[in-house]
Amino acid sequence: MRRESLIILALDALDFSMVKRYDCKSLMQLEYGETDISEFKLARTVVLWASFLTGKNMEAEIPVETQWKFRLKPEETFFHFFNSYNAIDVPAFSLKDESHAEERRLLKAYFEDEAAVEEYDEVVWRNHEENKRDFFAAMGKYDLVMGYFNLADAIGHLSFGIPEKMETVYLELERIAHEVKSSVDDFILIVSDHGMRPVGRYGDHSKKGFYSANMRIGLNLPKITSFYDLIRRRA
Amino acid sequence: MEDRLAALERRSISIIREAKAQFKNLAVLWSTGKDSTASLWLCKKAFFGKVPFPVIHIDTGYKFPEIYEFRDKIADEWGLDLIVAKNREALEAGMSPEKGKLKCCTTLKTDVLKNLIKKEGFDALILAIRRDEHGIRAKERYFSPRDEEFRWRYTDQPAEMWDLYVKPSEDFSHMRVHPILHWTELDVWEYVKRENLPVNPLYFARNGKRYRSLGCMPCTVPIPSNAGTIDEIIEELKTTKIPERAGRAQDKERAYMMQKLRSLGYM
Repeated sequence: MRRESLIILALDALDFSMVKRYDCKSLMQLEYGETDISEFKLARTVVLWASFLTGKNMEAEIPVETQWKFRLKPEETFFHFFNSYNAIDVPAFSLKDESHAEERRLLKAYFEDEAAVEEYDEVVWRNHEENKRDFFAAMGKYDLVMGYFNLADAIGHLSFGIPEKMETVYLELERIAHEVKSSVDDFILIVSDHGMRPVGRYGDHSKKGFYSANMRIGLNLPKITSFYDLIRRRA
Repeated sequence: MEDRLAALERRSISIIREAKAQFKNLAVLWSTGKDSTASLWLCKKAFFGKVPFPVIHIDTGYKFPEIYEFRDKIADEWGLDLIVAKNREALEAGMSPEKGKLKCCTTLKTDVLKNLIKKEGFDALILAIRRDEHGIRAKERYFSPRDEEFRWRYTDQPAEMWDLYVKPSEDFSHMRVHPILHWTELDVWEYVKRENLPVNPLYFARNGKRYRSLGCMPCTVPIPSNAGTIDEIIEELKTTKIPERAGRAQDKERAYMMQKLRSLGYM
C-alpha cells in the first residue's frame, strides 16, 4: 500500500475573509481559520515562509535587501525529515528567481508609469500557470509536495480593490484546491503567509493569514511557526 | 534680498559648474520639454552663453512633430552640439506601445541611452527631473550614482551637506546630475517668463486642452485647460488641484503603496 503523503498548498496572501466572501469550499477544508502573524514587524513574504519552513521566527536573519536571494539548506527545514520531497517555487528555499524578478521589474515600472497593470498581470498569470503545471506533475510522486502560488498576492497588490479581478483569482485558487482534493486522499494543508487589506484599488499585507486542513489538527489562531511540528510528525 | 528665482538659479548653476569640473565627459539630456529646456538654458548661462558639452536628444520616433521642429530651431539658434539618438532597427522591426508600454520605453529610450553612454563614454549626465513631479523622484539627490542597469546606487550616495557635491569613492557606471531637482513646476514657468525662454507650442491651450507634460504621442494625453499664454499657465498652476501627471485620482494610495512595497522589498 502506498504511504500516505503530505501536500502543502502555499498560497501567498490568501485572505480569510476573501475565501469566505467567494465561498471557496475546497479552500475551507474540515478545519480552517486565521493565523496570527502579529509577532512580525513587517509581513514580509520571504521571512514568513522561512519561518514556516523552520518553525522559528526568521525576521532578524533575513535582511530586506537580499531577501529574494535568501536560501535555507534542507537540513534547516522540515523537508529533510521526508524521504522524498518536491518544493515548487518556495520562497527562501526554491524560489524561481527569474520569474519573480520579472514581476518585480514590472511592478516598479508600473509605479514609474512605464508599464500598464495588464502587462504586469499577464506575467503574473503566466508564472502561475507554470507553477500549476509543475505542481500537478509532482503530485503523487513524493512524500511531500509543497507548491507555492503567489497569484493572490501579486494580483492583489495592484488590484485588491477591483472585485472582478480578485474573484477570478480566488476562483482559480479554489479550482486548484478542488483538483488536489479530488485526486488524492493524502493530508492536505493549505497555508497563507499573510492576508490582505485594501488601500483604494491596491492591496497591502495584513497581519492575519489563513490555514486549512482536511483533517482535525486542533489549532486555534496558530502562528506561522506552529505548523512545523505537525508537518514533521507526518514524515 | 535675492528673490526666489535668483536663488534657485544660483544653486542650479553651481551644480552644473561642479559637474563640469568633476567629470571628464559630461552631457545633458534634452527632451525639448519645459524642464529640460530650462535646464539647458542654465547650462548655457553657467558657461557664459555656450553649452560646452554635448546635448542628447533621445528620439523614440513617436514624438510630436512640434517637438522635432522646436528641437531643430533651438539647436540651431543656441549653437548646440546636438546628438540625436534613435533605435532605427527596433522601429523598422515595428516596435510600438502596442507591444507593451514598458517594452517600448525600454527599447526606444533606455536601451538607446545605455548604448550611447557606452559608445561615447559619458561619465555624467545632466537630467531635468524635479522632486515635486513624481513620488518616486522625491528622494532623489543632486548627484546620483548609477550602475550599468541605470539603478540608483543609493548605498554609495554621498551626503550632500553644505552644498558640497562629492563623487563617491566606489566605482559606478555614471553619475546622474539633477540641477533643477529643487524647483517646482510653477518655478519653471515663472523662470520661463522671467528669462523669456522659448516654449513648445503644445503647452498652450487649443480647443480647451493643453499638454502639461510632453512625451510620445501615443502615450501622452492633454489636460482640459484654457491657458493660452505663459501668464495664464502660471495662474492655472497657482490654483489647480490636478497633479502635473494628471489622470491619477489615486495618487495618495499609490504613493502609500509604492512606499509599502519598497519597505517589503518588492522594489
